Amino acid sequence: MAAWFSRLFTGQEGRDGALAINQQALLAGWRQLPEVDISRSHYRSRYVLVDVETAARSLKSDRLVSIAALALVDGLIDFQEAFHVVLAHDAPGADAAAGEASEANAPTAPNPALVIAGVPPVDALISFLSFAGKAPLVAYHSPLVGAMIERALVEHLGIVSAQPCIDLAWVLSDLFRDVSDVGDLSATQGGLDAWLAHFGIASIQRHNAVSDAYVIAKLLQIAIARAARKGFDSPGSLLELEKARRHLHQSG
Amino acid sequence: MSNSATEMLVSACIQFLQGFSPFDRMEAQALRFLAEHVKLAHFPKGARILASEMGIARALYIVQGGKVRARPSGGNSHVEYSAVLGPGQCFSIGALMAQRPSSSAYVARDDVFCYELPADCFFSLTQKSTAFNLFCTQTIAGLLNQSQQQLQLQFAQRAAEQKTMNSPLATIVKREPVAVAPETSIREVVELMAANHLGSMVVTDPLQQPIGIFTLSDVLKRIVLPGLSLEQPISSVMSTSPLTLPLAANAHDAALAMAMHAVRHVLAVDEGGRLRGVVSERDLFKLQGAGLRQIRHSIDAATSVDVLRHAREDVRQLSLTMLTEGVGGQEITQFISTLNDTVTRRVIDLNLDRHDLYGIDWAWLSFGSEGRDEQTFTTDQDNGIVYLCTDIMDRELTQLRFLEFARDVNDDLDKCGFPLCKGNIMASNPELCLTLEEWEEKFALWVRTPEPLALLNATIFFDFRPLYGRFNLAHRMRLSLFRQTQGNPLFLRMLAQNALSVAPPLGRIRDFVTGADPDHPGTIDLKKYGVRLFTDAARVFALANQVEATHTVTRLKRASALTHLPPDDVSASIEGFNFIQLLRLRHQHFEQEHGRAGDNLIRPDELNEIERRVLKEAFRQARKLQARLKLDYQL
Repeated sequence: MAAWFSRLFTGQEGRDGALAINQQALLAGWRQLPEVDISRSHYRSRYVLVDVETAARSLKSDRLVSIAALALVDGLIDFQEAFHVVLAHDAPGADAAAGEASEANAPTAPNPALVIAGVPPVDALISFLSFAGKAPLVAYHSPLVGAMIERALVEHLGIVSAQPCIDLAWVLSDLFRDVSDVGDLSATQGGLDAWLAHFGIASIQRHNAVSDAYVIAKLLQIAIARAARKGFDSPGSLLELEKARRHLHQSG
Repeated sequence: MSNSATEMLVSACIQFLQGFSPFDRMEAQALRFLAEHVKLAHFPKGARILASEMGIARALYIVQGGKVRARPSGGNSHVEYSAVLGPGQCFSIGALMAQRPSSSAYVARDDVFCYELPADCFFSLTQKSTAFNLFCTQTIAGLLNQSQQQLQLQFAQRAAEQKTMNSPLATIVKREPVAVAPETSIREVVELMAANHLGSMVVTDPLQQPIGIFTLSDVLKRIVLPGLSLEQPISSVMSTSPLTLPLAANAHDAALAMAMHAVRHVLAVDEGGRLRGVVSERDLFKLQGAGLRQIRHSIDAATSVDVLRHAREDVRQLSLTMLTEGVGGQEITQFISTLNDTVTRRVIDLNLDRHDLYGIDWAWLSFGSEGRDEQTFTTDQDNGIVYLCTDIMDRELTQLRFLEFARDVNDDLDKCGFPLCKGNIMASNPELCLTLEEWEEKFALWVRTPEPLALLNATIFFDFRPLYGRFNLAHRMRLSLFRQTQGNPLFLRMLAQNALSVAPPLGRIRDFVTGADPDHPGTIDLKKYGVRLFTDAARVFALANQVEATHTVTRLKRASALTHLPPDDVSASIEGFNFIQLLRLRHQHFEQEHGRAGDNLIRPDELNEIERRVLKEAFRQARKLQARLKLDYQL
């Protein structure tokens, strides 16, 4: 799978025309943010941990239900720097079904709680970008998480983010090669639970996006401490490490 | 912006903290403030979290996961101690309060997660939360007067042990309780116990409410020796109505309950009375490190006064340990009282071998602080005897027998470390070794003619409590006392006036009034001008509302339930009372450590800022109680 984050920034040709003036202003504000220096120390950087909830009846109709994000600033998790948005499902052109786990008995009636709490996708994504800024994103299995967000950004904002996104699954499996009880699981589905068990990290509510972002943030704290000891002391070096590991794994 | 993600993380943080002391006692708003202002940090194994070189402490650390080792930094490397802190424990309070570098180094033993609360938020929190403030005060309690080295030692020890006895049972019961239905056969139960290495088995009804308990020691006594069939149901051999405590009760409550009922297991139950876990004496033992059980055991098994004297010394030592651990005043005084009761009962037991009181109904009574369950380290005897005499012709002879018996008990108690009462308030005093009718008459006389001496007697003797013998005699005395007080409103009014004769030592301009005693300028007598303010008021409330309890805290609680006393005010006064008791205990400890008889004279100047503030608040609470009395009795 091509790394979604490596695509070039293509916003200018996007769908800005369809956006309201204030939405355009917010988006422009985000665009004008200076690029982040990813060569600074982990402990002088801001990472943004991302997790998403999706609704699926089939793989193709996967759609973004909510985005949760949590910042790791200077190595610390700050509960005030947390983000969660539920996307409204009555967006034009969307499938009639909002999916969810509500199964076939309610295909035309999306979960009312979601509709009430939901934010129109455009606003939701803009607020996510405002929260994230241009900080490097970190996810567990970012190809999946990233693809969801990327698709939504293209669909609703007409842009492709150029933000680096680090897949913690690869980073952990490289940094902790000595960990036997996690083993090869680490780079595949289900590995997260194994890492959490290994480090004794308890979830608030596993599979809840905010809770998952929180435990991933704790894993990142562990990872950057180990990485720094091995000489990978910045977000940039973590990206390098992840790429190398992925490459090694795929060619080997 | 209200943020659902932040809310979720903050709630989870609150929930985590609530599992530990002192956060479980903290006001909801203050706890939320804490959770909203912490940041979570990670430290890999071997990382230094805090050390003196890092300068003035900038944050409070609360361990969220992993273990932290605390060691004194620099200098004292020959001192062999270090402490390990686990989840829920916090550190650098002393350094934060004094705004100095930490005197210990804290190092991560494995992957450690810590909540960090910045110093300015820490200080806000001490202002927002009385519970937290008290905790911090207790943490640095007594340390200011002592050398730096002792400070480090005590702090490290306390930090290591502090979680322990104050933690709720919910955190002590680790594994799921194993329980069986009453019709389960003995064989199955014993097999289950063997397979799971259980020392006890709880028997529950279909609602999971415990109805009995069966322990390993029962196997021998109730099954093997009587040769009982193993096919019998467990209900035929279990002990019924087992001792239960709510999950929120703490380890001290459990220890106290075990000591009082001489049992080894307490069952923790939830609000629905359902079994949630078993706490054994062994669990507490592990927590406490010191030998509660050994002490009790040695008391119960003592065959001579000599042994009892040692046991009493152990009680003292254990209470001191608890004091340095930062245990609250109420727990300690109650603990001392309970174990002192045990010693007294054993002394009485031993003397009964030599004195034949067979066939007579009698009871040994405690008065004063002993009667109130509020003993401190220095306490003399306050006791008496009540007995029934069916034949008036026998009265004198019977009394002589009791007096002889009482004299021996008083002497033995003296040998065990309870000095004879200077005021002769002892069972060997013929005036205090009386029949039920005589006691009732005495009480009635004091109530009907409340002259100063009668009021003074009321403050000592109306706090009576049975310790040995027929407890129902004491109950009858209480009922008759209530009949008298209900019929004599003037008495209560005089008693209230008497309670108001001493005012809290708070000045209008300067903080404390310390000139009350010309022989000891600059001091406050915490008994006369502290504890007594509360006990006197509580006694009036209790007598007015027919509350049987003698313990001041219980009296206040019960009275508030029966009257218009607002519960918040009452819990504030209870906290104030407990704080003063704690200061007293600490002071007595300090005095005794330095070879002086423990008095109750403290110097406010030697307290730290927070202690002074809390003490002032305690006095204000006493003033409030007095205002209530004034209002109730139009004084």
